[in-house]
Amino acid sequence: MSEKKNNYTIDELMTVLMAREVRNDDILIVGVATPMVWAAFTLAKLTHAPDAIYHYIMGNTFVFEPRQVSLLYLEMNTKRAYRFQNSAECTLESLPSDTLTSIEWFRPAQVDQYGNTNNICIGEWENPKIRLPGCAGIADFSMFYSRGSFLYTPRHDTRTFVPPEKLFFISGVGFPNGEPSICGGSGPQCIITNLAYLDFDPQIRRVRLKSNHPGVEIKTIKESTGFDLIIPDSIEETTPPSEKELDLLRNEVDPLDIRKLEVLSGKERQILLNEIIEKEIKMEKRYPRKLN
Amino acid sequence: MRESKLMSLEDAISNYVKDGDLVGIGGLSFWRKPMSACREIIKQEKRDLTICTFVGGIEVDMLVGAGCVSEVRASFVGMEVFGMAPNFRKAVEQKKIKISEESEATIAIGLRSSYLKVPFMPLKGIIGTDYPKVRDDIKQFEDPLGSGAQLMALPKIDLDVAILHVPYADENGNGNIPGAVWMDADMAKTAKKTIITCEKLVELEDIIHLPRKAQLPMQTTTSVSRVPYGAHPTSAYPMYTFDALYIQKYMQMDFEQYKNQNIIDKNQIQYLEAAGGVETIFNILL
Repeated sequence: MSEKKNNYTIDELMTVLMAREVRNDDILIVGVATPMVWAAFTLAKLTHAPDAIYHYIMGNTFVFEPRQVSLLYLEMNTKRAYRFQNSAECTLESLPSDTLTSIEWFRPAQVDQYGNTNNICIGEWENPKIRLPGCAGIADFSMFYSRGSFLYTPRHDTRTFVPPEKLFFISGVGFPNGEPSICGGSGPQCIITNLAYLDFDPQIRRVRLKSNHPGVEIKTIKESTGFDLIIPDSIEETTPPSEKELDLLRNEVDPLDIRKLEVLSGKERQILLNEIIEKEIKMEKRYPRKLN
Repeated sequence: MRESKLMSLEDAISNYVKDGDLVGIGGLSFWRKPMSACREIIKQEKRDLTICTFVGGIEVDMLVGAGCVSEVRASFVGMEVFGMAPNFRKAVEQKKIKISEESEATIAIGLRSSYLKVPFMPLKGIIGTDYPKVRDDIKQFEDPLGSGAQLMALPKIDLDVAILHVPYADENGNGNIPGAVWMDADMAKTAKKTIITCEKLVELEDIIHLPRKAQLPMQTTTSVSRVPYGAHPTSAYPMYTFDALYIQKYMQMDFEQYKNQNIIDKNQIQYLEAAGGVETIFNILL
């Protein structure tokens, strides 16, 4: 990796790329424990998508105004909701719609070349080596969205990107065996990783390389993918974050670097987590700061 | 006059939670979980419970760690940014508990089927996943009215008891939730018994004037117990947020040691003192 050469970190690049997928008329579905997604949506709200609407599962609320990413006080956003949802609305109402467009980012533990995903277990389901937390709503919605589903992972390696026979459980449906998405959705649209931007070949509906991140060799991406990655003849390099995007992300959207928790692991992650908690506990005002 | 439903939490758990019950737990993830009630279940050594919750976290992990649980039904059980739920994970990997693989919709639709008194409801979802391979009680079928649509039949979930924590309740059993309700109201509608714990005990007159009134209406409530900080270390909006420092400590401690120091023989005051007392309360207050 050539992160040092660049003026941005990988979490910043990924967040910016995720923000760029947002459209102005989208409903932004913010799931549980996904600060990078929240940061991306908020960055989009501050740049090209001011009219987009958040749907937070943590409050089951529709919220219009953008606020700074927070770990401890995100529930305070519920205070500013213009609508609460409850019951089956929490899972179904905002989602499969012919008239609304929604965007939701799923972070798979495993993904195959058809965009099928697994968040349930590593090893056989009856005898798991690792029991993962679960897929929450991915099983319900991955095949539904008219805009398709959007995937991201900061761990582009052969443990995450696997052929179908090594995907231990389909908990999110992509293009089954390369067939069109079922239930009327558009299917998976892209996978943003720490190495590359991947999309899907429209004819055979398999993962292909769209652009390599600056400084990342195509060979590295190929070797980090556990299935046969489609590599077109001409590949462009990913457009890096602009100064404006970086400035907004660092100073307005997520100054505590909460999104970074998604890319770090081990001790580094623990240190950052402690720092974030310490800073937020010290805050007198416990509403995440409103941005505009 | 209606009879007061006020009861000590000890009596409520003792009277209304039986070994082998299907127990619904309200809240979501680290938000508004009935933690004191879960601690009481652990103290009373309830066994063989099936726990059903929309999105589970530390409450499921504790109940599993204490050996109270034989099966879990939840769309997610984890500790969010703090990591995986250690006791839950270990118990599944060692096959000590059963899993009914759920999504958000299988829980939401299952509860709704139950109170609508239908054996199942259809969902246009789950299709194409591996859920049917591990759930012999769900089934794909074609729309009997002839549209040709493929649907998934999801069975009802009949709770024996629902346990819900709310900011405000009155002694008649009306519960008011200023923040998100999630599946709490559905659970109260369908459970044979509903145990409510509350931060503040108010009067019916207050419930009438509170925004959104009683999302948990008194006619479905079995008991009400006043337990300030009863959701700690999860949140109770708008009073306090979740206790990140405490959850981190929990993650690092051996569970038996944790249980002995924080749950066994501890009343709510002693529990809060062990959790850091006034300083902790100042840290989490919104």
